[in-house]
Amino acid sequence: MHTRNTFLGLLGSALLVSGLATGSALADTKIRAFAGGSGQRPDLMRKLFDQYQAKNPGVTIEMETGGATSELQRQYLGTVLNAKDPSIDVFMIDIVNPAQYAGAGWIEPLNSYMGDTATAMKPFLPAYASANVIDGKIVAMPAFADAMFMYYRRDLLEKHKIAEPKTWDELAAAATKIQKAEGDANLQGLSIQGAPIEGAVCTFLLPYWSQGHEFNDAAGKLTLDKAAAAKGLNQWLAMVDQGVVKKNVAEVKTPDTVNEFKAGQVVFAVNWGFAWDRFKDDADSKVVGKVGVMPLPAVAGGKSATCIGGWQWALSAFSKSKPEAAKLIKFLSSPEASKFLAVQGSLLPTSLGVYQDADVVKAVPWFKDAAPVVAAGRSRPQSKDYGQVSDIIRTTTSAVLARTKKPDEGVAEIDSRLRRVMR
Amino acid sequence: MALINRLRDPSDKTLAVMMLAPAFLLLALIVVYPIGRLIWNSFFDLRLSGGGEAKFVGLDNYALVLQDPDFWNATKNTVLITLITVPGALVVGLGLAMLANLPFKRQWPVRLALLLPWALPLAFCGLIFAWFFHSEYGVVNDVMRRAGQTEPRMWLLEPTWAFAAICITIVWKTSSFMALILLAGLQMIPKSLYEAAEVDGASKLQQFWQITIPMLMPSIIVALIFRTITALQTFDIPYTMTKGGPGNSTETLAMLIHKTTIDYLDVGYGSTLAVFMFVLSLCVTGVYLKRIGNNA
Repeated sequence: MHTRNTFLGLLGSALLVSGLATGSALADTKIRAFAGGSGQRPDLMRKLFDQYQAKNPGVTIEMETGGATSELQRQYLGTVLNAKDPSIDVFMIDIVNPAQYAGAGWIEPLNSYMGDTATAMKPFLPAYASANVIDGKIVAMPAFADAMFMYYRRDLLEKHKIAEPKTWDELAAAATKIQKAEGDANLQGLSIQGAPIEGAVCTFLLPYWSQGHEFNDAAGKLTLDKAAAAKGLNQWLAMVDQGVVKKNVAEVKTPDTVNEFKAGQVVFAVNWGFAWDRFKDDADSKVVGKVGVMPLPAVAGGKSATCIGGWQWALSAFSKSKPEAAKLIKFLSSPEASKFLAVQGSLLPTSLGVYQDADVVKAVPWFKDAAPVVAAGRSRPQSKDYGQVSDIIRTTTSAVLARTKKPDEGVAEIDSRLRRVMR
Repeated sequence: MALINRLRDPSDKTLAVMMLAPAFLLLALIVVYPIGRLIWNSFFDLRLSGGGEAKFVGLDNYALVLQDPDFWNATKNTVLITLITVPGALVVGLGLAMLANLPFKRQWPVRLALLLPWALPLAFCGLIFAWFFHSEYGVVNDVMRRAGQTEPRMWLLEPTWAFAAICITIVWKTSSFMALILLAGLQMIPKSLYEAAEVDGASKLQQFWQITIPMLMPSIIVALIFRTITALQTFDIPYTMTKGGPGNSTETLAMLIHKTTIDYLDVGYGSTLAVFMFVLSLCVTGVYLKRIGNNA
């Protein structure tokens, strides 16, 4: 009898323990999030995850980082997702990637968690709202924005009584005037990126877009106007001939522009949002307090256009905790999270409301200049084969800027190669 | 049962099979399977970016490769790099080896200097030389400017000069490997041969052509085989120096395969390109092996 009771007692305890264990397993959800490389500020993302965990007991967020560039991150995630690996639930992707990931079936559409597309995307700037919606479905939610800005030497423009140029021709004239007056052989008029890197895709698109032409239609099909594209490239070459842009522009990468502007060797510089902090905060910056930001100029008779960047949160199609992961994404793309990133890390918000927030304006006053630039920004072509699209544009643009191909030839090459990819 | 008995008391033939099996298994796993898988993949439209299942396309990828101007351009560049840098590295390496073979009192500094370029990672060499050849900040243009050249040369932005810069870098990097092999060969040549030649009144040049080169031939062939195969796989140095540019004027076959497979995520077509490179390497190695056979 004693033995029987002991046995029943043990059985009861075992059932109780296993019940508790099952209960705690149900309550405890682990989510693994891939938060990019240093450029995507995993340090700040970890703080956001901690905030979420504090508000949602039972949810643990593990973070994974990796890949210094958008390309490397795409390669890594491509391998993981192609293997249908469920270990990553949530991941951060570049603005150029939603179409590719959705096309490959790696992303879980978010409508069932975020609501109907129009309402869910309403708070966001148009470019982010459209880049994350593929075939009417929300495939990712904006994390933070980025865009190409025209930085300029406010002190030099004021000294020579020159207004902010509105067209590229005006910019060339202003730069030439300042270069001559300053008499410094090392002073460049304008720095743009011509090396075969992602920035060269924007170098190709900026003057093209500003002529009012579209690169692709809503279905992603190529709509390249070859004459306008050649005109854009010719404009850069004309600036090289005028001495405004350096002769070796095809060697210039994003950090080169940042370093040369920081060293006081550039009047105008096209670069991403992150550069502002470098000009303002770096110990070796010689332009502290001398920098202005303005929208990019347009070709004569055109309208200013800029290339947007930025990062999105996507839900893996292979996640085993989709509802919980989607809830996390909702938080990460909320105005609250966006405000945190803006104040703590000067990361550009994706919704206009956050730009006008009093705390944000106080912490990063230049965002008021940035808001209209980002709002007018355009997304690079959305394609499931973006890696190929980008490679074709940047390689050919760089070759044209190196003068190994004529603009007409380069554009014809881009057109014929992309017609096969973007159809 | 019969099998167990055979294993318990194996005949010589069974024993031989049992002894060789692990080696064959290992070979199959680490050599045959990857190559077989590569060839298998080359018959599929296998895109990691496209979603859906891989589609069997037979020889379509092979037909596409033959019509692909990028493939022919990359093959031409690869063959040119091989034809320029392999003899280049041989000549420079032979010079270095003969220098290191001189009766220095202290041998180690010379040998260390010989080893250094070989010890540096390829990509790192590419980055260093990209910096050297930079049109604005590079040491090469600085030297030329001091020598009186007024207009800086855009080394890496002009196809011919970019190609030349890459070849110079590859020769710099690889000649020390050549030199090490040739130095070992040089040290095996008996001194008595040179002493006898001296007695016979042969000049230094005659000694070089009549003794050094023939005696060194086995080492030269070994060095050439290794260098040629690695030259056909050239990737790191042009990738870090020019990314294949300007345009795709310095793109090699290995870079095209990398771009197709990793950047474009087109594994099927990338595998087909890799099969072509494999065949090219096989043909060249075959020529060398035949030559060795003839020599033997």
